[in-house]
Amino acid sequence: MIQWLVFFLFSGIAVLSALGVVFLPNPIYVILALLSVLVSVAGLFFIAGAELVGAIQLLIYAVAVTVFYVFVLTAVPWEKAIKKDPFYRVEGLISFPLVLALYVEMVLVFLIGVSVSPKGQFRELITKFGNTEVVGAILFSKYFLAFELVSLVLLIGMIGAVIIGRKEAQTYEDHSS
Amino acid sequence: MDSVLAWLIITVIKILVILGIVLGIGAYLTLVERKVAAHIQRRPGPMVVGWHGLLQPLADGLKLLTKEDLFPRYGNRFLYNLALVLALVPATLVFAVVPFGPEFETFGIKVKPILTDVNVGLLLVFAFGSMAVFAIALAGWASNSKYALIGSMRKAGIVVSYEVVITFAVMGPIILAGTLSTYEIVQKQIEQKLWYIWLQPIAFVVYMFAVLAEMGRVPFDIQEAEAELVTGFTVEYGGMKFGLFPLVEWYVEGLSLSAIAVVLFLGGWSPINIPFLGFIDPLFFLGPLSPFVWFALKVTLLFLFILWLHWTLPRYRIDQITSTAWKVMLPLTFVNLVLTAVIAPLIWR
Repeated sequence: MIQWLVFFLFSGIAVLSALGVVFLPNPIYVILALLSVLVSVAGLFFIAGAELVGAIQLLIYAVAVTVFYVFVLTAVPWEKAIKKDPFYRVEGLISFPLVLALYVEMVLVFLIGVSVSPKGQFRELITKFGNTEVVGAILFSKYFLAFELVSLVLLIGMIGAVIIGRKEAQTYEDHSS
Repeated sequence: MDSVLAWLIITVIKILVILGIVLGIGAYLTLVERKVAAHIQRRPGPMVVGWHGLLQPLADGLKLLTKEDLFPRYGNRFLYNLALVLALVPATLVFAVVPFGPEFETFGIKVKPILTDVNVGLLLVFAFGSMAVFAIALAGWASNSKYALIGSMRKAGIVVSYEVVITFAVMGPIILAGTLSTYEIVQKQIEQKLWYIWLQPIAFVVYMFAVLAEMGRVPFDIQEAEAELVTGFTVEYGGMKFGLFPLVEWYVEGLSLSAIAVVLFLGGWSPINIPFLGFIDPLFFLGPLSPFVWFALKVTLLFLFILWLHWTLPRYRIDQITSTAWKVMLPLTFVNLVLTAVIAPLIWR
Protein backbone atom coordinates (compact mmCIF):
# COMPACT_ATOMS: atom_id res chain seq x y z
CA MET A 1 0.00 0.00 0.00
CA ILE A 2 2.66 2.50 1.11
CA GLN A 3 4.83 1.24 -1.73
CA TRP A 4 2.14 2.07 -4.28
CA LEU A 5 1.64 5.54 -2.83
CA VAL A 6 5.36 6.30 -3.01
CA PHE A 7 5.53 4.79 -6.48
CA PHE A 8 2.77 7.08 -7.76
CA LEU A 9 4.37 10.05 -6.03
CA PHE A 10 7.73 9.48 -7.69
CA SER A 11 6.34 8.58 -11.09
CA GLY A 12 4.05 11.62 -11.00
CA ILE A 13 7.00 13.87 -10.25
CA ALA A 14 9.02 12.17 -12.98
CA VAL A 15 6.34 12.66 -15.64
CA LEU A 16 5.62 16.26 -14.63
CA SER A 17 9.28 17.23 -14.66
CA ALA A 18 9.82 15.41 -17.96
CA LEU A 19 7.12 17.66 -19.42
CA GLY A 20 9.00 20.55 -17.86
CA VAL A 21 12.20 19.49 -19.61
CA VAL A 22 10.44 19.71 -22.95
CA PHE A 23 8.31 22.83 -22.49
CA LEU A 24 10.13 25.23 -20.14
CA PRO A 25 11.73 28.15 -21.98
CA ASN A 26 14.54 28.98 -19.55
CA PRO A 27 17.48 26.56 -19.93
CA ILE A 28 18.35 26.61 -16.25
CA TYR A 29 14.82 25.50 -15.32
CA VAL A 30 15.12 22.79 -17.95
CA ILE A 31 18.22 21.45 -16.25
CA LEU A 32 16.54 21.55 -12.85
CA ALA A 33 13.59 19.66 -14.29
CA LEU A 34 16.01 17.11 -15.75
CA LEU A 35 17.62 16.74 -12.33
CA SER A 36 14.20 16.19 -10.80
CA VAL A 37 13.41 13.49 -13.40
CA LEU A 38 16.66 11.67 -12.67
CA VAL A 39 16.23 11.83 -8.89
CA SER A 40 12.64 10.59 -9.02
CA VAL A 41 13.65 7.73 -11.34
CA ALA A 42 16.27 6.83 -8.73
CA GLY A 43 13.44 6.83 -6.19
CA LEU A 44 11.51 4.40 -8.42
CA PHE A 45 14.53 2.08 -8.49
CA PHE A 46 14.71 2.17 -4.70
CA ILE A 47 11.04 1.20 -4.40
CA ALA A 48 11.55 -1.65 -6.85
CA GLY A 49 14.29 -2.97 -4.53
CA ALA A 50 17.15 -2.24 -6.94
CA GLU A 51 19.23 -0.21 -4.48
CA LEU A 52 22.45 -0.51 -6.46
CA VAL A 53 20.89 0.78 -9.67
CA GLY A 54 19.17 3.56 -7.74
CA ALA A 55 22.38 4.68 -6.06
CA ILE A 56 24.28 4.55 -9.36
CA GLN A 57 21.49 6.52 -11.01
CA LEU A 58 21.96 9.21 -8.36
CA LEU A 59 25.75 9.16 -8.49
CA ILE A 60 26.30 8.99 -12.25
CA TYR A 61 23.27 10.60 -13.85
CA ALA A 62 21.93 12.99 -11.23
CA VAL A 63 25.37 14.25 -10.19
CA ALA A 64 28.19 13.47 -12.61
CA VAL A 65 26.33 14.02 -15.89
CA THR A 66 24.06 16.88 -14.86
CA VAL A 67 26.96 18.79 -13.32
CA PHE A 68 28.42 19.25 -16.76
CA TYR A 69 25.17 20.75 -18.03
CA VAL A 70 25.31 23.13 -15.10
CA PHE A 71 28.90 23.99 -16.05
CA VAL A 72 27.74 24.97 -19.52
CA LEU A 73 24.83 26.90 -18.10
CA THR A 74 26.88 29.03 -15.79
CA ALA A 75 28.57 30.32 -18.93
CA VAL A 76 25.19 31.40 -20.36
CA PRO A 77 24.65 35.12 -19.81
CA TRP A 78 21.70 36.01 -17.67
CA GLU A 79 19.81 37.96 -20.37
CA LYS A 80 20.06 35.18 -22.94
CA ALA A 81 18.64 32.60 -20.55
CA ILE A 82 15.22 34.30 -20.44
CA LYS A 83 14.88 34.73 -24.18
CA LYS A 84 11.87 32.80 -25.39
CA ASP A 85 12.56 32.52 -29.12
CA PRO A 86 12.10 28.96 -30.33
CA PHE A 87 15.32 27.71 -31.88
CA TYR A 88 15.71 25.05 -34.56
CA ARG A 89 12.07 24.70 -35.54
CA VAL A 90 12.76 23.24 -39.00
CA GLU A 91 15.46 20.91 -37.71
CA GLY A 92 13.04 19.68 -35.05
CA LEU A 93 10.42 18.83 -37.66
CA ILE A 94 12.94 17.05 -39.86
CA SER A 95 14.35 14.97 -37.03
CA PHE A 96 10.90 13.96 -35.75
CA PRO A 97 10.57 10.72 -37.81
CA LEU A 98 14.03 9.63 -36.68
CA VAL A 99 13.14 10.21 -33.04
CA LEU A 100 9.91 8.29 -33.54
CA ALA A 101 11.83 5.36 -35.05
CA LEU A 102 14.20 5.36 -32.07
CA TYR A 103 11.28 5.26 -29.65
CA VAL A 104 9.64 2.40 -31.54
CA GLU A 105 12.92 0.52 -31.40
CA MET A 106 13.19 1.11 -27.64
CA VAL A 107 9.65 -0.18 -27.06
CA LEU A 108 10.35 -3.24 -29.22
CA VAL A 109 13.60 -4.04 -27.41
CA PHE A 110 11.85 -3.65 -24.09
CA LEU A 111 8.97 -5.95 -25.04
CA ILE A 112 11.27 -8.62 -26.49
CA GLY A 113 13.50 -8.37 -23.43
CA VAL A 114 10.56 -8.89 -21.09
CA SER A 115 9.33 -11.93 -23.01
CA VAL A 116 12.82 -13.50 -23.14
CA SER A 117 14.07 -12.80 -19.60
CA PRO A 118 13.69 -15.63 -17.07
CA LYS A 119 10.85 -14.97 -14.65
CA GLY A 120 11.54 -14.83 -10.93
CA GLN A 121 15.03 -16.36 -11.11
CA PHE A 122 16.93 -13.25 -10.19
CA ARG A 123 14.62 -12.44 -7.29
CA GLU A 124 15.76 -15.59 -5.48
CA LEU A 125 19.39 -14.77 -6.15
CA ILE A 126 18.96 -11.19 -4.95
CA THR A 127 17.37 -12.19 -1.65
CA LYS A 128 20.14 -14.76 -1.21
CA PHE A 129 23.25 -12.79 -2.13
CA GLY A 130 22.25 -9.13 -2.18
CA ASN A 131 21.94 -6.56 -4.89
CA THR A 132 25.55 -5.65 -5.65
CA GLU A 133 26.80 -9.23 -5.81
CA VAL A 134 24.11 -10.35 -8.25
CA VAL A 135 24.72 -7.43 -10.60
CA GLY A 136 28.45 -8.14 -10.50
CA ALA A 137 27.99 -11.85 -11.14
CA ILE A 138 25.70 -11.28 -14.13
CA LEU A 139 27.84 -8.49 -15.54
CA PHE A 140 31.04 -10.52 -15.39
CA SER A 141 29.61 -13.79 -16.69
CA LYS A 142 26.73 -13.42 -19.12
CA TYR A 143 27.43 -9.89 -20.37
CA PHE A 144 31.22 -9.96 -20.10
CA LEU A 145 31.90 -9.34 -23.81
CA ALA A 146 29.47 -6.42 -23.98
CA PHE A 147 30.99 -4.98 -20.80
CA GLU A 148 34.53 -5.14 -22.17
CA LEU A 149 33.45 -3.62 -25.50
CA VAL A 150 31.79 -0.73 -23.69
CA SER A 151 34.93 -0.09 -21.67
CA LEU A 152 36.90 -0.02 -24.93
CA VAL A 153 34.51 2.62 -26.30
CA LEU A 154 34.97 4.65 -23.12
CA LEU A 155 38.75 4.39 -23.45
CA ILE A 156 38.58 5.71 -27.00
CA GLY A 157 36.39 8.57 -25.81
CA MET A 158 38.86 9.41 -23.06
CA ILE A 159 41.81 9.45 -25.46
CA GLY A 160 39.84 11.72 -27.78
CA ALA A 161 39.06 14.10 -24.90
CA VAL A 162 42.72 14.22 -23.91
CA ILE A 163 43.78 14.98 -27.49
CA ILE A 164 41.19 17.74 -27.85
CA GLY A 165 41.98 19.21 -24.44
CA ARG A 166 45.79 19.18 -24.62
CA LYS A 167 47.83 22.33 -25.06
CA GLU A 168 49.09 22.92 -28.57
CA ALA A 169 52.87 22.67 -28.70
CA GLN A 170 52.91 25.41 -31.32
CA THR A 171 50.07 27.57 -32.54
CA TYR A 172 49.28 28.17 -36.17
CA GLU A 173 50.48 31.79 -35.96
CA ASP A 174 53.94 30.60 -34.93
CA HIS A 175 53.96 28.11 -37.77
CA SER A 176 53.15 30.60 -40.51
CA SER A 177 55.64 33.23 -39.42
CA MET B 1 0.31 -3.80 12.32
CA ASP B 2 1.90 -3.39 15.73
CA SER B 3 5.37 -3.98 14.36
CA VAL B 4 4.79 -1.48 11.55
CA LEU B 5 3.66 1.12 14.08
CA ALA B 6 6.66 0.45 16.31
CA TRP B 7 8.96 0.72 13.32
CA LEU B 8 7.36 4.01 12.31
CA ILE B 9 7.70 5.47 15.81
CA ILE B 10 11.32 4.37 16.10
CA THR B 11 12.15 5.85 12.70
CA VAL B 12 10.55 9.19 13.56
CA ILE B 13 12.47 9.28 16.85
CA LYS B 14 15.70 8.47 15.02
CA ILE B 15 15.10 11.23 12.47
CA LEU B 16 14.38 13.78 15.21
CA VAL B 17 17.43 12.76 17.24
CA ILE B 18 19.75 12.87 14.23
CA LEU B 19 18.44 16.21 12.99
CA GLY B 20 18.61 17.69 16.48
CA ILE B 21 22.14 16.49 17.09
CA VAL B 22 23.46 17.45 13.65
CA LEU B 23 21.95 20.93 13.42
CA GLY B 24 22.50 21.71 17.11
CA ILE B 25 26.11 20.61 17.06
CA GLY B 26 26.52 22.29 13.68
CA ALA B 27 25.49 25.62 15.17
CA TYR B 28 27.77 25.20 18.17
CA LEU B 29 30.72 24.18 16.02
CA THR B 30 30.92 27.82 14.95
CA LEU B 31 32.00 28.62 18.50
CA VAL B 32 34.38 25.65 18.60
CA GLU B 33 35.97 26.79 15.37
CA ARG B 34 36.39 30.37 16.58
CA LYS B 35 37.86 29.21 19.86
CA VAL B 36 40.28 26.77 18.23
CA ALA B 37 41.32 29.36 15.66
CA ALA B 38 41.81 31.94 18.39
CA HIS B 39 43.99 29.69 20.53
CA ILE B 40 46.05 28.63 17.51
CA GLN B 41 46.72 32.32 16.90
CA ARG B 42 47.34 33.03 20.63
CA ARG B 43 44.27 35.15 21.33
CA PRO B 44 41.28 34.37 23.57
CA GLY B 45 38.48 34.45 20.94
CA PRO B 46 34.87 35.27 21.91
CA MET B 47 34.79 35.96 25.66
CA VAL B 48 31.96 38.44 26.27
CA VAL B 49 28.66 36.60 25.72
CA GLY B 50 28.36 33.99 28.46
CA TRP B 51 31.21 32.16 30.20
CA HIS B 52 34.12 32.06 27.72
CA GLY B 53 31.68 33.03 24.96
CA LEU B 54 29.45 29.97 25.41
CA LEU B 55 26.31 31.85 24.34
CA GLN B 56 28.00 33.43 21.32
CA PRO B 57 26.28 31.15 18.72
CA LEU B 58 22.87 32.21 20.07
CA ALA B 59 23.81 35.87 19.80
CA ASP B 60 25.12 35.31 16.27
CA GLY B 61 21.97 33.47 15.28
CA LEU B 62 19.80 36.28 16.66
CA LYS B 63 21.85 38.85 14.78
CA LEU B 64 21.59 36.92 11.51
CA LEU B 65 17.84 36.35 11.90
CA THR B 66 17.01 40.00 12.53
CA LYS B 67 19.03 41.33 9.61
CA GLU B 68 17.38 42.80 6.55
CA ASP B 69 16.78 40.28 3.77
CA LEU B 70 18.65 41.81 0.84
CA PHE B 71 18.19 40.54 -2.69
CA PRO B 72 20.36 41.44 -5.69
CA ARG B 73 18.67 43.40 -8.48
CA TYR B 74 18.17 41.29 -11.66
CA GLY B 75 18.79 38.11 -9.70
CA ASN B 76 16.46 35.14 -9.95
CA ARG B 77 14.53 34.96 -6.68
CA PHE B 78 13.22 31.41 -7.12
CA LEU B 79 16.63 29.90 -7.84
CA TYR B 80 18.26 32.11 -5.21
CA ASN B 81 16.05 30.54 -2.53
CA LEU B 82 16.07 27.07 -4.08
CA ALA B 83 19.86 26.98 -3.75
CA LEU B 84 19.48 27.13 0.04
CA VAL B 85 17.17 24.11 0.07
CA LEU B 86 19.45 22.20 -2.30
CA ALA B 87 22.39 22.91 -0.02
CA LEU B 88 20.76 21.86 3.24
CA VAL B 89 18.75 18.78 2.24
CA PRO B 90 21.41 16.49 0.66
CA ALA B 91 23.94 17.39 3.35
CA THR B 92 21.60 16.27 6.13
CA LEU B 93 20.41 13.25 4.13
CA VAL B 94 23.94 11.81 4.33
CA PHE B 95 23.37 11.16 8.03
CA ALA B 96 20.67 8.62 7.11
CA VAL B 97 23.41 6.05 6.45
CA VAL B 98 25.88 6.95 9.21
CA PRO B 99 25.94 4.24 11.90
CA PHE B 100 26.39 5.77 15.36
CA GLY B 101 26.87 2.56 17.35
CA PRO B 102 26.12 -1.15 17.62
CA GLU B 103 22.64 -2.62 17.79
CA PHE B 104 21.09 -2.40 21.26
CA GLU B 105 17.84 -3.44 22.93
CA THR B 106 15.44 -1.20 24.85
CA PHE B 107 11.94 -2.13 26.06
CA GLY B 108 12.20 -5.43 24.21
CA ILE B 109 12.77 -3.75 20.82
CA LYS B 110 16.03 -4.11 18.94
CA VAL B 111 17.26 -0.75 17.69
CA LYS B 112 20.04 -0.13 15.19
CA PRO B 113 21.39 3.39 15.68
CA ILE B 114 21.39 4.05 11.94
CA LEU B 115 18.43 5.53 10.10
CA THR B 116 18.42 3.11 7.18
CA ASP B 117 20.92 0.29 6.77
CA VAL B 118 20.62 0.20 2.98
CA ASN B 119 23.12 -2.16 1.38
CA VAL B 120 24.62 0.51 -0.90
CA GLY B 121 25.02 3.08 1.85
CA LEU B 122 28.44 4.32 0.80
CA LEU B 123 27.35 5.07 -2.76
CA LEU B 124 24.51 7.14 -1.35
CA VAL B 125 26.93 9.10 0.83
CA PHE B 126 28.92 10.21 -2.17
CA ALA B 127 25.84 10.82 -4.32
CA PHE B 128 24.33 13.12 -1.70
CA GLY B 129 27.67 14.66 -0.84
CA SER B 130 28.32 15.75 -4.40
CA MET B 131 24.81 17.10 -4.87
CA ALA B 132 26.02 20.14 -2.96
CA VAL B 133 27.55 21.27 -6.24
CA PHE B 134 24.08 22.10 -7.63
CA ALA B 135 23.35 24.37 -4.70
CA ILE B 136 26.62 26.19 -5.21
CA ALA B 137 26.27 26.51 -8.97
CA LEU B 138 22.70 27.79 -8.62
CA ALA B 139 23.63 30.20 -5.85
CA GLY B 140 26.38 31.61 -8.03
CA TRP B 141 24.20 31.90 -11.10
CA ALA B 142 21.04 33.24 -9.46
CA SER B 143 22.94 35.99 -7.61
CA ASN B 144 23.80 37.62 -10.93
CA SER B 145 27.24 38.68 -9.71
CA LYS B 146 30.68 38.07 -11.16
CA TYR B 147 32.28 37.19 -7.85
CA ALA B 148 29.54 34.70 -7.03
CA LEU B 149 29.73 33.11 -10.47
CA ILE B 150 33.52 32.74 -10.40
CA GLY B 151 33.35 31.27 -6.90
CA SER B 152 30.72 28.75 -7.87
CA MET B 153 32.60 27.72 -11.03
CA ARG B 154 35.74 27.11 -8.99
CA LYS B 155 33.84 25.09 -6.44
CA ALA B 156 32.14 23.04 -9.15
CA GLY B 157 35.53 22.27 -10.70
CA ILE B 158 36.93 21.18 -7.36
CA VAL B 159 33.93 19.01 -6.50
CA VAL B 160 33.96 17.29 -9.90
CA SER B 161 37.65 16.37 -9.64
CA TYR B 162 37.65 15.34 -6.00
CA GLU B 163 34.43 13.36 -6.25
CA VAL B 164 36.25 10.96 -8.59
CA VAL B 165 39.25 10.81 -6.24
CA ILE B 166 37.17 10.18 -3.12
CA THR B 167 35.18 7.41 -4.82
CA PHE B 168 38.33 5.57 -5.85
CA ALA B 169 39.97 6.16 -2.46
CA VAL B 170 37.19 4.35 -0.60
CA MET B 171 37.36 1.35 -2.94
CA GLY B 172 40.20 -0.11 -0.84
CA PRO B 173 38.20 -0.45 2.39
CA ILE B 174 35.21 -1.66 0.36
CA ILE B 175 37.31 -4.48 -1.12
CA LEU B 176 38.62 -5.40 2.32
CA ALA B 177 35.13 -5.46 3.82
CA GLY B 178 33.36 -6.93 0.79
CA THR B 179 30.27 -4.80 1.29
CA LEU B 180 28.93 -1.30 0.63
CA SER B 181 26.76 -1.07 3.75
CA THR B 182 28.24 1.30 6.32
CA TYR B 183 27.01 -0.77 9.27
CA GLU B 184 28.46 -3.98 7.81
CA ILE B 185 31.83 -2.33 7.14
CA VAL B 186 32.25 -1.52 10.82
CA GLN B 187 31.10 -5.03 11.78
CA LYS B 188 33.72 -6.53 9.46
CA GLN B 189 36.46 -4.42 10.97
CA ILE B 190 35.49 -5.65 14.42
CA GLU B 191 35.36 -9.26 13.21
CA GLN B 192 38.71 -9.02 11.44
CA LYS B 193 40.19 -7.18 14.44
CA LEU B 194 41.67 -4.59 12.12
CA TRP B 195 41.10 -0.91 11.49
CA TYR B 196 41.42 -0.47 7.76
CA ILE B 197 43.73 2.52 8.22
CA TRP B 198 46.55 0.04 8.99
CA LEU B 199 46.22 -1.52 5.54
CA GLN B 200 45.03 1.60 3.70
CA PRO B 201 47.19 4.53 4.82
CA ILE B 202 47.40 5.96 1.28
CA ALA B 203 43.64 5.77 0.83
CA PHE B 204 43.15 7.49 4.19
CA VAL B 205 45.47 10.39 3.35
CA VAL B 206 43.89 10.86 -0.07
CA TYR B 207 40.42 10.68 1.50
CA MET B 208 41.33 13.39 4.00
CA PHE B 209 42.60 15.65 1.20
CA ALA B 210 39.37 15.08 -0.69
CA VAL B 211 37.37 15.87 2.46
CA LEU B 212 39.17 19.20 2.77
CA ALA B 213 38.41 19.93 -0.87
CA GLU B 214 34.72 19.00 -0.63
CA MET B 215 34.26 21.01 2.55
CA GLY B 216 35.99 24.00 1.01
CA ARG B 217 38.57 24.14 3.78
CA VAL B 218 42.07 25.57 3.55
CA PRO B 219 44.23 24.66 1.58
CA PHE B 220 41.37 24.17 -0.90
CA ASP B 221 39.07 27.08 -0.03
CA ILE B 222 39.70 28.82 -3.33
CA GLN B 223 35.95 29.25 -3.96
CA GLU B 224 35.79 31.65 -1.02
CA ALA B 225 39.19 33.29 -1.27
CA GLU B 226 38.27 36.36 0.78
CA ALA B 227 41.15 38.36 -0.62
CA GLU B 228 40.08 38.10 -4.26
CA LEU B 229 36.43 36.97 -4.38
CA VAL B 230 35.05 38.52 -1.17
CA THR B 231 33.31 35.28 -0.13
CA GLY B 232 32.66 33.60 -3.46
CA PHE B 233 29.18 32.28 -4.15
CA THR B 234 27.67 33.55 -0.88
CA VAL B 235 28.52 37.17 -1.61
CA GLU B 236 24.96 38.22 -2.49
CA TYR B 237 23.31 36.41 0.40
CA GLY B 238 22.41 38.21 3.60
CA GLY B 239 21.19 37.43 7.10
CA MET B 240 20.41 33.83 8.00
CA LYS B 241 20.60 32.85 4.32
CA PHE B 242 24.27 33.78 4.41
CA GLY B 243 24.70 31.88 7.66
CA LEU B 244 23.23 28.71 6.19
CA PHE B 245 25.93 28.08 3.57
CA PRO B 246 28.92 27.88 5.95
CA LEU B 247 26.76 25.92 8.38
CA VAL B 248 26.05 23.32 5.71
CA GLU B 249 29.40 23.32 3.97
CA TRP B 250 31.78 23.57 6.88
CA TYR B 251 29.93 21.92 9.72
CA VAL B 252 27.18 19.55 8.55
CA GLU B 253 29.20 18.23 5.60
CA GLY B 254 32.37 18.20 7.68
CA LEU B 255 30.70 16.16 10.39
CA SER B 256 29.24 13.68 7.92
CA LEU B 257 32.50 13.20 5.99
CA SER B 258 34.47 12.81 9.24
CA ALA B 259 31.91 10.26 10.42
CA ILE B 260 32.27 8.32 7.16
CA ALA B 261 36.07 8.46 7.50
CA VAL B 262 35.74 7.00 11.00
CA VAL B 263 33.42 4.28 9.68
CA LEU B 264 35.70 3.37 6.79
CA PHE B 265 39.17 3.66 8.27
CA LEU B 266 38.97 3.91 12.06
CA GLY B 267 36.62 1.08 12.90
CA GLY B 268 33.47 3.04 13.68
CA TRP B 269 32.46 2.52 17.30
CA SER B 270 35.21 0.01 18.15
CA PRO B 271 37.81 0.98 20.77
CA ILE B 272 41.58 1.25 20.21
CA ASN B 273 42.81 -1.47 17.87
CA ILE B 274 45.99 -3.55 17.85
CA PRO B 275 46.14 -5.00 14.31
CA PHE B 276 45.04 -8.66 14.09
CA LEU B 277 45.17 -9.08 17.91
CA GLY B 278 42.14 -7.33 19.31
CA PHE B 279 40.79 -4.20 20.92
CA ILE B 280 41.74 -2.35 24.09
CA ASP B 281 38.96 -0.35 25.72
CA PRO B 282 40.15 2.17 28.32
CA LEU B 283 36.54 3.41 28.54
CA PHE B 284 35.16 0.01 29.64
CA PHE B 285 33.61 1.54 32.79
CA LEU B 286 31.00 3.30 30.61
CA GLY B 287 29.44 -0.08 29.84
CA PRO B 288 26.97 -0.09 26.94
CA LEU B 289 27.58 3.63 26.32
CA SER B 290 31.26 3.15 25.50
CA PRO B 291 30.83 2.46 21.71
CA PHE B 292 28.86 5.68 21.25
CA VAL B 293 31.47 7.65 23.18
CA TRP B 294 34.24 6.12 21.06
CA PHE B 295 32.44 7.05 17.86
CA ALA B 296 31.83 10.63 19.01
CA LEU B 297 35.43 10.90 20.21
CA LYS B 298 36.91 9.78 16.89
CA VAL B 299 34.67 12.09 14.85
CA THR B 300 35.56 15.01 17.13
CA LEU B 301 39.29 14.36 16.83
CA LEU B 302 39.12 14.16 13.03
CA PHE B 303 37.09 17.34 12.90
CA LEU B 304 39.56 19.17 15.15
CA PHE B 305 42.35 17.92 12.88
CA ILE B 306 40.58 19.55 9.92
CA LEU B 307 40.20 22.79 11.90
CA TRP B 308 43.88 22.68 12.81
CA LEU B 309 44.84 22.41 9.13
CA HIS B 310 42.42 25.17 8.21
CA TRP B 311 43.97 27.67 10.58
CA THR B 312 47.63 26.89 9.83
CA LEU B 313 48.04 26.37 6.09
CA PRO B 314 48.10 28.82 3.17
CA ARG B 315 45.84 28.47 0.13
CA TYR B 316 46.54 26.80 -3.22
CA ARG B 317 45.67 28.19 -6.65
CA ILE B 318 42.75 26.63 -8.49
CA ASP B 319 44.84 25.06 -11.26
CA GLN B 320 47.20 23.57 -8.67
CA ILE B 321 44.25 22.07 -6.82
CA THR B 322 42.66 20.39 -9.82
CA SER B 323 45.93 19.22 -11.35
CA THR B 324 46.92 17.62 -8.02
CA ALA B 325 43.61 15.81 -8.00
CA TRP B 326 43.94 14.38 -11.50
CA LYS B 327 47.70 13.90 -11.75
CA VAL B 328 48.77 12.89 -8.25
CA MET B 329 45.85 11.68 -6.18
CA LEU B 330 43.92 9.74 -8.80
CA PRO B 331 46.96 7.65 -9.89
CA LEU B 332 47.77 7.07 -6.21
CA THR B 333 44.28 5.72 -5.59
CA PHE B 334 44.58 3.48 -8.67
CA VAL B 335 47.84 2.01 -7.36
CA ASN B 336 46.23 1.54 -3.96
CA LEU B 337 43.20 -0.12 -5.54
CA VAL B 338 45.29 -2.63 -7.52
CA LEU B 339 47.51 -3.41 -4.52
CA THR B 340 44.47 -3.96 -2.30
CA ALA B 341 42.81 -6.18 -4.86
CA VAL B 342 45.96 -8.32 -4.98
CA ILE B 343 46.64 -8.41 -1.25
CA ALA B 344 43.12 -8.80 0.16
CA PRO B 345 42.51 -12.36 -1.13
CA LEU B 346 45.97 -13.43 0.08
CA ILE B 347 45.08 -12.48 3.65
CA TRP B 348 41.48 -13.61 4.00
CA ARG B 349 40.67 -16.22 1.39
